Amino acid sequence: MIELLNISHLKYNLSNGLDVILYQNKSLPFTAVNIWYKVGSANEIKGKSGLAHLFEHMMFQGSKNVPKEMHFKYIQEAGGTLNASTSFDRTNYFEKLPANDLELALWLESDRMGYFLDALDQTKLDNQKSVVLNERLERYDNQPYGLAWEKLLGNLYPHNHPYNWPTIGFYNDIKSYTLEDVQTFFKNYYSPSNATIVIAGSFDIDSVKFLVEKYFEGINGRSNQSVHNSQEVKLNKNKVIEFTDKVNLERIYLAWHTQNSFNSDDSSLDILADILTGSKNARLTRRLVFELQIAQDVSSMQFSGKYGGHFMIVATAKPGKSLDEIKKIIFDEISLLANGKASQQELSRSQNVIKSQFIYSLQNIDTVADLLNLYNFYLGEPNSFNFDLERYNNVDVENIQQVAKNYLQKNYVELRIVPENINAN
Amino acid sequence: MQIDRSKRPLSSGRINFTPPGFQKFNLQNGLKIFFSEKNDLPIVRINFLVNSGSRFDENEKKGLGNLLAMCIDEGAGKLDALQLANEFEMLGANFGVSCNNDTNIISLQVLSENFLPALKLLGNVIMKPHFSEENFNREKHKVLVKLNQSKAEPDYIADVTFEHFLFGKDSPYSYPILGTEQTVQNIQNDSIKNMYEKKFAPLNSSMVVVGNINQDLFQKELEQVFGEWNGTSLTEDQHINHLKSFKILYIINKPDAVQTEIRTGHLSSNRDDTDFFQKQIINLILGGQFSSRLNLNLREKNGYTYGVNSRFNYLKEAGYFAVSTSVDLKNTVNALREIYSEVDKIREGITQNEMTFAQSSLTKKYPSNFETFRQIAANISAKVIHNLSDDYFEKYVGKVNSLKLNDVNSIAASSIHSDQLISVLVGDAKKISSQINEKEFGEATILGFDDVFYI
Repeated sequence: MIELLNISHLKYNLSNGLDVILYQNKSLPFTAVNIWYKVGSANEIKGKSGLAHLFEHMMFQGSKNVPKEMHFKYIQEAGGTLNASTSFDRTNYFEKLPANDLELALWLESDRMGYFLDALDQTKLDNQKSVVLNERLERYDNQPYGLAWEKLLGNLYPHNHPYNWPTIGFYNDIKSYTLEDVQTFFKNYYSPSNATIVIAGSFDIDSVKFLVEKYFEGINGRSNQSVHNSQEVKLNKNKVIEFTDKVNLERIYLAWHTQNSFNSDDSSLDILADILTGSKNARLTRRLVFELQIAQDVSSMQFSGKYGGHFMIVATAKPGKSLDEIKKIIFDEISLLANGKASQQELSRSQNVIKSQFIYSLQNIDTVADLLNLYNFYLGEPNSFNFDLERYNNVDVENIQQVAKNYLQKNYVELRIVPENINAN
Repeated sequence: MQIDRSKRPLSSGRINFTPPGFQKFNLQNGLKIFFSEKNDLPIVRINFLVNSGSRFDENEKKGLGNLLAMCIDEGAGKLDALQLANEFEMLGANFGVSCNNDTNIISLQVLSENFLPALKLLGNVIMKPHFSEENFNREKHKVLVKLNQSKAEPDYIADVTFEHFLFGKDSPYSYPILGTEQTVQNIQNDSIKNMYEKKFAPLNSSMVVVGNINQDLFQKELEQVFGEWNGTSLTEDQHINHLKSFKILYIINKPDAVQTEIRTGHLSSNRDDTDFFQKQIINLILGGQFSSRLNLNLREKNGYTYGVNSRFNYLKEAGYFAVSTSVDLKNTVNALREIYSEVDKIREGITQNEMTFAQSSLTKKYPSNFETFRQIAANISAKVIHNLSDDYFEKYVGKVNSLKLNDVNSIAASSIHSDQLISVLVGDAKKISSQINEKEFGEATILGFDDVFYI
């Protein structure tokens, strides 16, 4: 066990169900506040994709005692930084402030947790729909390869699976949200009993406990919508999709179903990704980019969430090089790992990098706050830094062989993105 | 518990913060070391700065400094490219080489327990790179392909086109750091070696080190690793004169675009000018943060964009003012009009409330710029590159607090010039130009991206 990664904290809950996690660290005069609401795009229904993310935007539009625009302004005037993000499984809101303005953050967060609906109106909704439509255009539609993720999800996960659509939502769905959609979403998911607040950094424990109670205790808890159960997903055959886009180079995406977050195979799959493409010496990078020079880049990742997981390999062909050739080499390398073994050196290289990353991540108090929330959400125990690192230290070469065989030799989705004008040439 | 939620809670007490200090010393060979000890975590961060960068690329060989950065860690000392990368990774180190307009930066982050072996590897990269023909050809081809790929990226097109027209084609800052397909083709392995010989020398370099190490021990190790490195080349700083810009509009046609990327701005004073702090205040109000005038107008009122920002950007020998955003096609000209209008309006000055907000935000946020090893190293690096005074960090808060509103407002009037705005729009030229009234934004020229650097 690494003592530095033993993050001692206090965890308790208020009578309305809000979970509170306090981590005191006085090395710098800041305090981070980080709230996770247990709702993400996985909780959306068909036709209203992207609502969780739009809702995140609405949470910055003011609440009963905070006029529009003032949420940002108060925090920035105090020298703080703030933001939020939405994923499949959860939505987080976070700010970091000089330690003497912690109360400001608690006031703002509690006002929107308890009194958001009082300040909601059509003008604000119309404005943020327009902002989010532009966000979608800027980050996805107008980016080369920007639509790959949603094409993959739609083909990999069945229609009734919560990971079937992208978190940003589809264009026409975003246009369709009504005030009632937003109100209902708030009532269903934004209750103290569906949230966990982490406060990390420089503070006095007794005063913080007093302040948390002062601002949050009076917010009524509501029962929350039940969430999905994990469902078994399986591809009965390979699916091959080709899509033309405004790109100059052809790219191939391969995706296989794997496992949920923190499943016993999850860390082996992470290391498998590193052994395939994590460094110059990684097997696919070395062969495709360094030796054969038929790919401009190659990457891979194990994506895992509460309700599912998949492994992806992505490679971009150099001009005039064929995706078929690249694909063949990808599958050759997978076979080598599934039938033979990774070397101990490859494994140690990944493990050394991972161990260092754990220590590096302690530099930001806001990163630590978010990780406490993440571990609490997925494992029920915030102080799981050492547990998490051990998951990687415990992987052996047999595990790598097994996950390569058990997941990457099954059916897959193959997406090819090719330049629009390729047939014209 | 009954509480009054109607007002912002008061702050409790004051924050005590002293920015991290650092030691300055030279090795025997003249290499300048800036060392800041930081012991809360067992980490060491190094930024090795070489006074080089793309502004020294010859005209026909633009992209040279970048290609040098890509080749320098492809084998060094007794290790070939793959062995070298493997050694760094076995140590769990984050290692990288980059090139910007003014500097080549070799950076390293590693756990203290692995610092010495990582320092030796770093020394090899800096002093004994192989520059083999085979590695050069591979990396050169990689850049050429990347340039081809970048032509599909609207934000890349907008950034490099804007800087090209802003600086004018005679400026060393006029061309992309990556170069263009034509100029990269002209680069040979010998060009890289020559550049390396000229620029990579102790007197032309500085090393910023932040970390959990003992200074005496560290100084001895440095002498051992870099002691035999010699060479006396030193780059003389050259002053660059830029011409004043005038109001003009370029539309870079990208017919498949579903949004329009906008860049607009003009040249401005350099980093060492006396108006730096006033301009920080002005920019914060105009477009430097979420609740800025530009963002509240274009995003929160009109919904034209996901976000807009402005900045005063400082290169070693130039400075400029720029606004960046990406907007939906049908509102391209509406958005541009609002940008011009906000830029024009800021010349009339900011209010006392805005001044108070900006001073509070800048000064209270200052300590959080020194949280991570990387941030501290970046701040010291900026100090080195721009020749800022040794007590710059300590003086910062006092300087911001001592600014007066009328002084800030007179700088706003003299440093922002709406009649000099150069604008670049990247998008569907047909649909954009039908929205445009020529007189409003200056003469409009429509170009394809391939033509930008050759007109």
